[in-house]
Parts: sequence; structure tokens; C-alpha cells
Amino acid sequence: MKFYNIVASAATALSLLAAPAIAEDKPVVGLVMKSLANEFFQNMLEGAEAHAAERGDYELRAVGMQNETDFESQINAVENFITQGVDAIVIAPADSKAMVRPIKKAIAAGITVVNFDVSLDADAKKEQGLELAFVGPDNRGGAKMAGDALAQALGEGAKVVIIEGNPGADNATQRRLGFEDSVAEYKLDLLDSRTAHWETEEANQVFSTMLTAHPDLQGVMAANDSMAIGVVKALENAGRDDILVVGFDNVPAVGPMIEDGRMLATVDQFGQKMAADAIDLALEVVAGGPELEGWVKTNIELVTKK
Amino acid sequence: MPQNILTVSELKKHFGGVRALDGVSFSLTRGETHALVGENGAGKSTLIKTLSGAFPFDSGDIVLDDAPYRPDSPHEAKARGLQVVHQEFNLLNHLSVAENISIEAMPRTRFGILDRAEMNRRARAALDAIGLGDIDVRATVQSLGIAHRQLVEIARALQSDSSILILDEPTATLTERETKRLFDIVADIKSRGVTVVFVTHHLNEVFAICDRVTIFRNGKTIATEVIAETTPAAVVRHMVGRELATERNTYQNRDISGKCALSTHNLKVASNPHPEGLDIAVHYGEIVGIAGLVGAGRTEFLRGIFAADPIVSGHLARNGTPMVFRSPRDAISAGIAFVTEDRKEEGLILDMPISANVSLANMASVSGHGLMRFGLERQRAEDHRAKLQIKCGSVSDAASSMSGGNQQKVVLAKWLARTPEVLILDEPTRGVDVGAKAEIYGILRKLAQEGAGLLIVSSELPELMTLCDRILVMANHRIVGSVSRDDFTEEHILKLAYGQNGTEEGTIA
Amino acid sequence: MTTETRMLSAPSRRAVSVRAIINNAGIGLALLALILFFSLASEFFLTANNITNILTQITINLILAVGMTFVILIGGIDLSVGSVMAFAAVVAGKAITLPGLGVVELIALACVAGLLTGLISGLLNGVISAYWGLPSFIITLGMLNIARGAALHVSDAQTIYSFPFAFEEFGSALIYGVPVVFLVALLITLLAWFVLNWTVFGRLLYGIGNNEEAVRLAGHHVFWLKVAAFTICGFTAGIAAIIYMARLSISSPIAGIGFELNAIAAVIIGGTSLAGGRGSVIGTLLGAFIIGVLANGLILIGLNDFMRQMITGVVIIVAVILDHYRAKYSAT
Repeated sequence: MKFYNIVASAATALSLLAAPAIAEDKPVVGLVMKSLANEFFQNMLEGAEAHAAERGDYELRAVGMQNETDFESQINAVENFITQGVDAIVIAPADSKAMVRPIKKAIAAGITVVNFDVSLDADAKKEQGLELAFVGPDNRGGAKMAGDALAQALGEGAKVVIIEGNPGADNATQRRLGFEDSVAEYKLDLLDSRTAHWETEEANQVFSTMLTAHPDLQGVMAANDSMAIGVVKALENAGRDDILVVGFDNVPAVGPMIEDGRMLATVDQFGQKMAADAIDLALEVVAGGPELEGWVKTNIELVTKK
Repeated sequence: MPQNILTVSELKKHFGGVRALDGVSFSLTRGETHALVGENGAGKSTLIKTLSGAFPFDSGDIVLDDAPYRPDSPHEAKARGLQVVHQEFNLLNHLSVAENISIEAMPRTRFGILDRAEMNRRARAALDAIGLGDIDVRATVQSLGIAHRQLVEIARALQSDSSILILDEPTATLTERETKRLFDIVADIKSRGVTVVFVTHHLNEVFAICDRVTIFRNGKTIATEVIAETTPAAVVRHMVGRELATERNTYQNRDISGKCALSTHNLKVASNPHPEGLDIAVHYGEIVGIAGLVGAGRTEFLRGIFAADPIVSGHLARNGTPMVFRSPRDAISAGIAFVTEDRKEEGLILDMPISANVSLANMASVSGHGLMRFGLERQRAEDHRAKLQIKCGSVSDAASSMSGGNQQKVVLAKWLARTPEVLILDEPTRGVDVGAKAEIYGILRKLAQEGAGLLIVSSELPELMTLCDRILVMANHRIVGSVSRDDFTEEHILKLAYGQNGTEEGTIA
Repeated sequence: MTTETRMLSAPSRRAVSVRAIINNAGIGLALLALILFFSLASEFFLTANNITNILTQITINLILAVGMTFVILIGGIDLSVGSVMAFAAVVAGKAITLPGLGVVELIALACVAGLLTGLISGLLNGVISAYWGLPSFIITLGMLNIARGAALHVSDAQTIYSFPFAFEEFGSALIYGVPVVFLVALLITLLAWFVLNWTVFGRLLYGIGNNEEAVRLAGHHVFWLKVAAFTICGFTAGIAAIIYMARLSISSPIAGIGFELNAIAAVIIGGTSLAGGRGSVIGTLLGAFIIGVLANGLILIGLNDFMRQMITGVVIIVAVILDHYRAKYSAT
């Protein structure tokens, strides 16, 4: 009995190992995600899973991470996918430089790689001799859309502050640059710019203090909606309804705030569809379509009160 | 007239309102062995710390080698040739013996890295110099026994050319054989012209190896005597400032035909290799002692009774009723109290007030509905302070501020607050000075007279012989004999303890 | 009997508070110096609005730090409070957004659910570390991950929102400019002070921090006392979760990352010894104020984020150095 169990489990293990190699005709797509503790990526993963179930003509293997900066487990995931011999890897890199080398290895192994969400670093790609298209939203452009909406509502010379994301994160940098583009174009008066590490509570504390220091400020650009929520609560506590707030991501919680005017606008980058779209593009290449080139921009949209 | 190497005159040191040193004068002659004795808190430790530069003195003079001496740091004291081996070891347990010996000046190669060979060579030489050829210099300190650690400390202290070596209670943790060896080493050191200062509670040691003795009381030096011209009784008289009655003679035989307060049947603790365990019985009003060598299993047995450690098998009865104690709490509820061997680790909360320590085992008496009643607690503590003659500034002072004897009285007060019917004591007077010892004996005897049953483990035979109605002798986790008061002689008990009893004395109470 | 007791209590009560004042004087002076400095450096610092802000901002850290004080006093540590807070907030958030219940029922249910979640997490920390005698550092590090994972799992990593209006009102209510949530935190602090200084339970916790074996051999249930300390800490994380929800009107499963370190910092700055047995919640209150005033004041004087972080780190180290000297002087 015991012996049988051992044999059975050994056989299962072998078949699991062998499975990718002898997979039926269906192509296998390895999806490497960022932190699934972030609802944006959690939604994206759910979107991808729904997409796989709907299409039914490929096998999806998804890997997430512990937190935003845990790029080591991403490297491990890519290497595992190479070992498993998947047909395509679709990856949202946690670090735009560190991921270049393992991705190059995957391409050398004949795997189709699609880079989405955050672009790999251009210099690092050049240094490694890697050419790879990027599929993703224009964070800077999106932030500028939100910033422009704020500027147009307030008029030239309005006093604004920026609440930044994690220092060093690529999308945080891009969004800040986008906000700053709006500031420059509409000659806004940027009073202060600080990080709240993407976090509601911290944004609430940091912003209420900024409001004390600059009681005359008119507009707030928050690099994500979680922080925008913290800002809105700080304004409510201070009894200020004359200050406009824009965010980014269009998470469900800000829907009511935009409807009742507590927030002016946010930006939807259709995160739920992003991974699915990248997978579609990858499957086209796997099926013999042309290689992707340059920056395949995904849809972004400004969300305001209907 | 031999030459004085160190002369201390009218030394004073105050801590706040406490006069730790209140006029200390004495001198050391070159090459002598000089004992410092006195009750705990008499000022010996403060004097040593002052001499070793741990803290400055307020007034007075010290002359060392004909030059004024006022050390700012232990380093300066060492530079002037004065070394102290403290009671608490200053060894690093995880490092090797050699590393410990060289810790103050590690030898380096010309590349600046540690010269291990040279370090081991120096350590070897230092150990050999005091006849410690049997210690491996590469062994870690923690692998050594207490006695060897003590000797390593002495070796370390002696490797630099010291002219004065102060040993602070070096024998407190040593066995008789180890003490003997230490004395040999001290004699050897002395023969090389080093002055040895010997701080101890044991007068027999003073009379065994010292040339002169200086007696401290209440921060003052009372007298310096030449050993050959004095007697232990005279020294004790100086120490306590009064004549101590010879305890054994004043002992009154009491009626101890009371009921059996505590008995064990086949009680076996984890460390006991014999499956049958131990049987003892303690009656109300009786003081039963347990004698035996270190390692005979006495402490483990007491801890088993009190459920401080789990018992493996066997039974225990109070007033003849079998009981099972799951924790010390159960034992305490059954009217048992336990004064542990190590008051600093197990008995007292040193940083907390004396009053808090007194009430620790009886919180219900100083609280109501879970709330503290500080006034009541203070009052209880004051009562015990008066009853047990505890000497302290205030009962709100930290327990650590008291001397060993008074600390032990606080431990006793903690248990007396519960008016226990059975009191178990493990080494009740360890590290306690002569005066306090006598007072503690008085307290214990009074308890027995009031009807409590006492079970005492002690390594000091005179103590057991003074106190007990009956002494059980333990060897290797067995009771090898029971001696009643009329048959008390040290020789008889020691023979039993060493397993040399030819007769069939091994009857068990 | 009672009058006698009360009369006798007076001097020792005074002794207790005098000692507390002396022990806390250093940290209190440091806080005063900070307040003085920021008042001079920024015209906004001492305004009514900003004081309201600071009080709001230290509320959660103060509540967590008070719970943490119990654990640190017995020589333990609880690294899980930030995650437990998030878990409790998510559970309470799920409860408060249940359909088909009245507002009062929903709020009551959410409070019970959140507090229970915190309490049970703390209880587990205590039981596991005390039963097996394992270092609480490791056990609570495990709980940090368990609670965070549970928070993400229960919420499916989604932020929970749209709470009853009355609940949000409580989060932003003021009494004479003082946030009600801060008053709650202050009440908890005073309650903790009372428990630690005036009850047998508090006395024994200090005892355990100093000499656990002596307390055990004196017949006390050391196991349950330790479990109680951890349970209190978990419970305060549950309270913090409710306050978090009321203030921000959301429950985020990624809330509270790193909050445990802020709470520990407040306790240590407040002079409680990491080795256990010495310290007070009054010190913790001052420690939380120092952290809060610093975070607020440094923004007001326009210092950038990175410098701000560095200065906070320096303050923690300086506080521990000062405490080292304080311990040394009080020992001699």
C-alpha cells in the first residue's frame, strides 16, 4: 500500500514535470505579475483568468509576488517558465533594469516575450543588446490628462500640490512627470510635492499637514486613487469643499466620490484588460504573426462626472 | 617592620545619604595575605570598587608605593599594579580561555591581524604560572566548571605584573577540593612577593591562609588583627559588635510529636536515576535537614515537591492526604512555601521595591478586587521589616539596594506573609554574613516553635546541626541515612554523605 | 479600614507619580523643545487646525503603542500589529457593508467583528509564544504574514468602501477642536496607565519583565499573564482598525504596513526598556507625540521627504541613547 503510494506520487511528479513538454496543441502562456496585494494587479489577474477561460485555446500559468519590490521572485518565475518550456511569457516587470537579463535569456530560449505595464529600461536594454516591444499605458500621458483636467477647471496660475507614489518606482516617476507637464503647460503654481507611498493613511496625514502649511492651495494631484481617498478625507475633516482633487487608476471606491463631486477626475488605464490584451498580442506572435515593435500603447481614458 | 605597600587613611564615600565608607583605614604590607571581613553591607565591596577605580572616593588618602593614589578608571588601577578578581565573573563565556586571558591586549602579527599562536602561548604561560597545566587554552570558558573559571580569572589578573591582587569572595562557589587548590595557588603567589587581599565570609578560610585580618562594620574599619594572635570568636565579636551566643547550646528540644505535615512516597524527579524515588516525612513543629554533597539531587528534590519542576512519578501528601501539584501555585495553596537556592534569579525581583517583593506571593492581602492598596502593602512591608529586623533605607527602595542577608530576609518575609504550614528552604544562608545568619536561624526556629514544619537543604553542616531535629543524608539521589539530634557529629554525617558508612544506618524516616 | 487605607495610600501614591514624573521629565522636555522649535520655525504649527491635525495623526500610533507597551514590559515584542490592524479592518469592513441591516446593527457588528479579530490574533500570539516558550519576535513575525495574507484573502485584495454615514461622522467629529478619536486613544492610554500602576495584574506584568521565574515560583499564572499582555496588544490593534475605518471610510488590506515599527519606536522613545520590566504608558504617550510632532513639523518647515525620514531615524537612536543614561543614573 505504502509502496503503491510512493510510486503513484512519483509518477504524478514526473508527469507534472513532463507536462509542459508534451502539452497538447494548446500554447502555454506564462504570466508574471507584480504584487497581488495591490488590487490593481489582483483585478488584472482576474481579468486574465477570465480571458483564458473565455478564449479556451491557450493554457495560462500566472505567478504573483509578495510585494511591489520583490523582483527576485520574478526572476525565479521567468527562469522556471524557461525550464518548463512555455510558448510565451507576458511580464509586468517589478524592476525595469533587473529584469532585462532574465528576459533576454527567455528570448534566447525561443520564447515569445511581451513586456507590459511598465517598460524595461531603455539603456539597460541597449547595453544587453535586447530589442523588445512594450505594451502598456502611457502613465505620463495619463497623469497629464488628469493634470490638464484639474488645470482647466482651476485656470492658469492656480496653486496645486502633488502626492507622489513610491520614490524610485517607474510608474510613480512617470505620473509625477505627467503632473509636472500639466503644471508647466498651464503655468500652475506647484506649492509642494511629497510622497505618501501609495497609502491612504499616509496620504491623509501628509496632505492634512500640507494643507495647514498652504491653506490657499486649490488643487491636488494624487498619483493613485488610494492616496486621493486619503486626501478627500482630509479635506472633509478640514471642512474644505473648495479644493479639487484628481487621482489615477479608477478604483471602485472613487466612483461615488467622482459622482458627488468630492473628486474631479481619475484616469482609467483598463488594468483589468491590460494583461489580457498583452496575452492576445503574444499569442498572435506565437501563431506566426509579425514581431511587435516599439511601444504598443494601451487605451487610457479620463474619468469624470457623467 | 615590613614595608607598607598600600596605606588607606580615613577613606569616605557617600552615595546620596548613605555612608558606604565612613572612615576606612588600614594598610597592606608587601607580600602578606590580608583578609577583609565584615557583614554584607559593611563596606568591603565599596572599598574594592574604590581601590579598583570603578568610582572615586569623597575624602581621605590612599598611598600606593609611596605615591598618592586616586584612580580614575580600572585601567589606571591596573597600570599601578592593582588587580581585582570580582565575585561576578568578567569572562566572555563564548570565547576561548586564551582569548579571555589576552582580551585586554590581543597580540598582533606585523600585518595587524590576531596572532593566535602567540595568544595561546601567553595563555599557556599564564596558566602554567599558577599550576593550571590541565586547562586547555583553546577550550571555551563555558565548557569549564565554575572553579576553573575562577582560576582563569586569577591567571588573567596575574599575567600583568601586579603587586596587589584582590580576590572578592573567591570561594563562594567552590567546593572544598577546589578551595584547597585555590589556597595552594594563593600561597604560591604570595611566595613571589605579591600582596593578596582576600575578601570572604568564611572565617575558617581566613584563619587557614591569612596573615592579618581587617574587620569592617557599618562602613568603618573596626580593627586589624594578626591572625596568629586572635581567635575566630574575637573576630566575630568585632564584626557584629556583640557576642554571639553559641547556638547549639541554647537549643531547646521541642515536642515534635505533631502530625505529619508533608510526606513523599517514591517521589521521583527527572534527574533522579533511581525508579523508586524518595520517601521523606516532615512533622509539624519539626525541622528536618537534608545534607549531602553538591550534585546529590537535593535541590531537584525540593523543586519537585514544590512543583517548580515536574515530577516523574510518586506521591506527595499533606496532612496525610494525597495531593497532586501541577504548579507552584498548587503547592502554595496547600500551605507550602519555598525559599529557593538562588535569591537573585528565583527569589527576588531585584529592581522592584522591597514592599513589592514582600507582597509578591500574597497579592490578595494587599489588594481588593484586583486593585492594589499601596498603603496596606507598605504597612505589611513595614511590619515584616520590624519583625525580621530588615535593614534598609525605606521599603520603597529597590531590593537590589540591600545586602545579601537583608535580601534573604525579604525572601523569607515574602513567604512568611502567607503564614505557611510547611516551609522548604534551599541554602537559606548562602552569601549571608554571620550576624544576619544568626537572625535568620532565630526566625526559622521561631517558626518551628509556632508549629510549622521545615525542610532545609544546606551545604553547611554546622548550619544543619544547629537548626535541625533530624538530618537526612543524601547521596546520588538516594537518602542514605537519617541522623537524629543526639547522634549529630560532622564526621558521622560526612561519612554517610561520602558513602563510607559501614553500618546499617540507612534507615529512612 | 477604608479610610485608614486611603490615608496611608496618599504618600505612596505621591511617590509613584513623582517617580513617573522624574522618569518622564527628559522625554517631556524633549517634546517641549520640539514644540518650541517648530512654533518658532513655522507660523502654522501652533494654530488650532494644526493641533487638531497632530492629534488626529498620532491617534492610531498611540493606540497601537499603548498595546505594544504591555508586551514590551513583559520582555516581548509584537511585530504583527500593523497586519492585524489591516485584517481586523477588512473583517470589520466586510461586516459593515453587509446588506439588509440597520445602521446601528451594522456599526455594532463591525466593531465587535474588528475587535474580536484583533483580540483573537493577539491571543494566538500569546498562547503560542508562552506555551512553547518561543521568542515572540518570531511568532509575531509569523502572525504578521498570516494576518496580512488573511486580510488580502478575505478582501480579495480589494479596498472595501461605502460605510454608513454615522460611522464616518464619528471619525471626523471634534469636541472643542479635539478629535473624538484622539479622546478615545487618550482614554485607552489612561485606562492602561491605571491597569499597569494600580492593579495586581499590572504589578505582576512588571514583575514578569524583571524576573519571570520569581513570579512563577510565587504562585502566579505566568502563562496566562503573558497571554493577557499579548491579547491586550491584539485588542488595541482591533481598536486601531475601527478608528482607521472611521477616519478614512475605507478598509484597505494593505493598510498599516510598517505601523508596528512606529508603535515600537513610540514605546522605546517613551523610555520603556526593550528588555522588559521598566517603563510606562505615560512615556509611550509622550513618545507618540514626539513622532507625530516631528512628522508634522518637518513637513511644515518644508523639509523634503528623504531628510524627514533620516531625522526620524536619528531621533529614535538619540532617544535610546538618552534612555541608556537615564537607566544608568537611576540605577546608582
